[in-house]
Amino acid sequence: MATVQKSKSAITLRGSAEIVCDYLNYGINSILFQRGLYPPESFKNTENYELTMLMSTDQKIIEFLENTLTQVKEWLVGRIVNKIALVIMNVKTLEVLERWDFHVEYEGDTSSVEQHSEKPLNTIKKEIRDVLRQITSSVTYLPLLDCLCSFDIQVYTKNDVELPKEWAESEAANVKNAQCVKMRSFSTNIHKMETVVTYKNDDL
Amino acid sequence: MNNDIGSNDTILKMMNYLKPSVNKMEDDGEESQKNDSLNATTPLKRRTSFDVTTPLKKFKEENKTFDSSYMGSPREMRRLRADLIEARNTILNLENRISHMHGIRKEMQVLFDNETRSLRKQHEYDRKSVLELENQLQTIRKREHDLKQELAEVKNKNHLFKISTDQKIEELEKKLCNITSDHKAQETQENLEFSSLKKKILELQNQLDIAEESAQVHQKLCKELEKQLNERASAVTELEMKNKELQKLKLQMKEYDYIKENYLEYQEQSKTQARKLAQFIDMEKENERLKEENFRIKDEIKNKLLLEEEVHDLKRRLVKFKEQESKFASIQMQLVQTEMYLNEWKAVARGILEETNANDTALPHLLRSTVERLQQQELYLTDEKVNLQSQLNSALHEAKVAKEELSKNQKLLTKLSGTDEQKKNLIHRMQKKLLLVSRERDSYRLQLDSYERDLTMCVNTSALGTQAANQVQGLKERVENLEKIVSGYRDMVAKLENDLQNAEHDGPDLPPVKLEQISRLKDEIDQLKQERERLRERNDQLEIQLEEYLVGNDSLKGGKVYHLANNPLSECLSQREALIEKLQEEVDRLKRKVKNMEEGFESSKLVDISMSTKEVQMLKEEIKNHELQTQHLKEYFKTSMQEFRDVVYELLGYKIDKTSKSLYKLTSTYAENAEDILCFQLNNNGNLHLLETDFSSRLEDLIELHLKHQNSFPNFLSSLTLDLYSNRTMVTEQLQIIDD
Repeated sequence: MATVQKSKSAITLRGSAEIVCDYLNYGINSILFQRGLYPPESFKNTENYELTMLMSTDQKIIEFLENTLTQVKEWLVGRIVNKIALVIMNVKTLEVLERWDFHVEYEGDTSSVEQHSEKPLNTIKKEIRDVLRQITSSVTYLPLLDCLCSFDIQVYTKNDVELPKEWAESEAANVKNAQCVKMRSFSTNIHKMETVVTYKNDDL
Repeated sequence: MNNDIGSNDTILKMMNYLKPSVNKMEDDGEESQKNDSLNATTPLKRRTSFDVTTPLKKFKEENKTFDSSYMGSPREMRRLRADLIEARNTILNLENRISHMHGIRKEMQVLFDNETRSLRKQHEYDRKSVLELENQLQTIRKREHDLKQELAEVKNKNHLFKISTDQKIEELEKKLCNITSDHKAQETQENLEFSSLKKKILELQNQLDIAEESAQVHQKLCKELEKQLNERASAVTELEMKNKELQKLKLQMKEYDYIKENYLEYQEQSKTQARKLAQFIDMEKENERLKEENFRIKDEIKNKLLLEEEVHDLKRRLVKFKEQESKFASIQMQLVQTEMYLNEWKAVARGILEETNANDTALPHLLRSTVERLQQQELYLTDEKVNLQSQLNSALHEAKVAKEELSKNQKLLTKLSGTDEQKKNLIHRMQKKLLLVSRERDSYRLQLDSYERDLTMCVNTSALGTQAANQVQGLKERVENLEKIVSGYRDMVAKLENDLQNAEHDGPDLPPVKLEQISRLKDEIDQLKQERERLRERNDQLEIQLEEYLVGNDSLKGGKVYHLANNPLSECLSQREALIEKLQEEVDRLKRKVKNMEEGFESSKLVDISMSTKEVQMLKEEIKNHELQTQHLKEYFKTSMQEFRDVVYELLGYKIDKTSKSLYKLTSTYAENAEDILCFQLNNNGNLHLLETDFSSRLEDLIELHLKHQNSFPNFLSSLTLDLYSNRTMVTEQLQIIDD
């Protein structure tokens, strides 16, 4: 695993950020598969968190996620990120249909760079597994996306951020007629991730 | 005539021989005889009666067929019956003929009488004709006399003529004398003339001679002619008479010949009749035999019908027996079941009675007694129960009343406590107010103190100058005014303090004005409270609304939102935009092209279009061909279908129509009415079912036998065909018989 072990069962800040990014990678891929944004045949099975996860084989998506998540990792280490949002939008009308929020909270001594967590990795993985399961089962209640859709990943940061040149400022994606479902959260004792899905309710 | 008499005798004999058998028909025969005798006045009419021989011949022929052996089938029967009727008819015909022959005989006698009468008439006529001829002779004689008279007249004329000629001669002689005298007078002058005159006289004499001769010849001729005339007239009369006689005789001869021929024919006919009559006896016998046979057959048919009825009855009885058998089995089953039930009941009864060794017969009685006992017990118990129930109800009612009272009391209590609390609150508020008022008082005091301090300061500054003296004066006035105000305030304060003290001392015993004020204030407070409550609710609602509104919105929390410029969404959007742009361009291009084409430009590129039109034409042709093919196929199918249907109709005798889905109509060739239709329905399992129609309801026997028993549609249909065919042919046969 990508966790860096300084001592036995100790997780550093960077390691925690990496766990979070791993979670984000699998979670976003899973959502992309479950919400049918890309054809199912472009996904392949991967075993992780004792689950069979579906990961996209589309080179563009892989590249995009890698670029995004490496940057997010840096920002997580710098504790600038408030929230990471996966926005699903109707391409034709530019209407925001769904927003997956991954709220980030910083726990413990938020000033120290040398922060450690003693939480066992297996417990964290178990928590992540539970969240991913919830994401997978969310298909049952989310409305069907029956139009051409695409997605974007937005990072909500605190002020004064040095922006790399590939990055641009964006606007908050608001969902009309929204309804939201809060998933379980997991924590590394450094980062606490809270997953919430907000979607447009057609029934109203 | 002898022959005739002989033939008559034979006929009479025949008649006598036939009389017993023909007795029945004689009346009719006599009538016909009369009719015939009336009709047979002329020989020509008699001929009509001879044509009747032909049907007799026919009868003979039919007799031959009659001899064919009897088969015994109903059809044969029918035929035999028909033959019999025919035979009877022929017999009748023969009898008629015989009577007719009698008539003819009588007719002949009458004819002979007539003949003799006519001959007599002829004789008379001849006599008359002789008389007539005599008369004629007399007239001829008269004519002869006339002619003689004519001859005398002619002679007279001749004589007259002679006299005249003599006179002429005399005249001529005189003339001659004159001429001779003249001659003599002129003899000298005219000797030559004289000679010529002499010659002329001679010539005249010759002429006279010739004339005389001719007159004599004429006389002779006249005589000859007279003679000839007489002869001829007599000859002519004789000839005429002879001719007439000859003709009459010829006619008579012909008639006799004719009569003779007729007699010969009669003889022949009578001979044949005799022969036929000889045969007739045989026929009579045969007829009787056939009648007997007929009776026998009828009896047999009756017996057969009886037997059939018996068979039918037996069949029905058999079916009933079968049903009863099945019923019997079910009843047996039921019996067994009921026995089982009975045993169970007995066991139950024993269980109830707790007497295992009780007798079966005694069991019901025992059970009944126990049941009655139990019922009585139950009645008693129910009675008790009802009593208890009523008691319970009354108790409950009481409890309810008590409860109500209790609740009333509680309500009263709560009300009282509420008022108590209100009063407490009131006191509390009053105390607060008091505090406020005291504070006000304190503040006023402070103010007063400050004013006093100001006043002292002003006094200190008054020594500063004259200029200020006016000011001071003014100030003094002001101070006085202020002092007045202050004193007013002080009074007010004192008054207020008094009030306060009063209030403190009095407590609940407030003056009515204050009480009023208090109540007013209370109302105000209540109002305010209500308003506050309302506002809070409103606030909550708005907060909820806001929350709802904010769910979809993202809270930035003062931060910023970043994303990769090169994200899938933007990529997708740009792709889409590019696509739209491209499409727009394409649309524009096509629009332009269309416009150009409409205006007739761009002819250079029309080649493709023309090609395409050619292609279109080709395709159209192809389509047309295909359509034609399908049309042909349709027609072929139609004709072949029709042919198939016709063949089926011809072969199987049923016209099969498909009216709707899986519903087939069958019409038989031999159907009596056009509405006689059988309906069959094909159900989902592929089984055929006969549907009920008016026609099918009439075929219950066939349905029973072929469909229910044999379960065979072909059998049913073929037997139906045979039935219908036989019905139809029977009808036609009957019609034929009626026609005959």
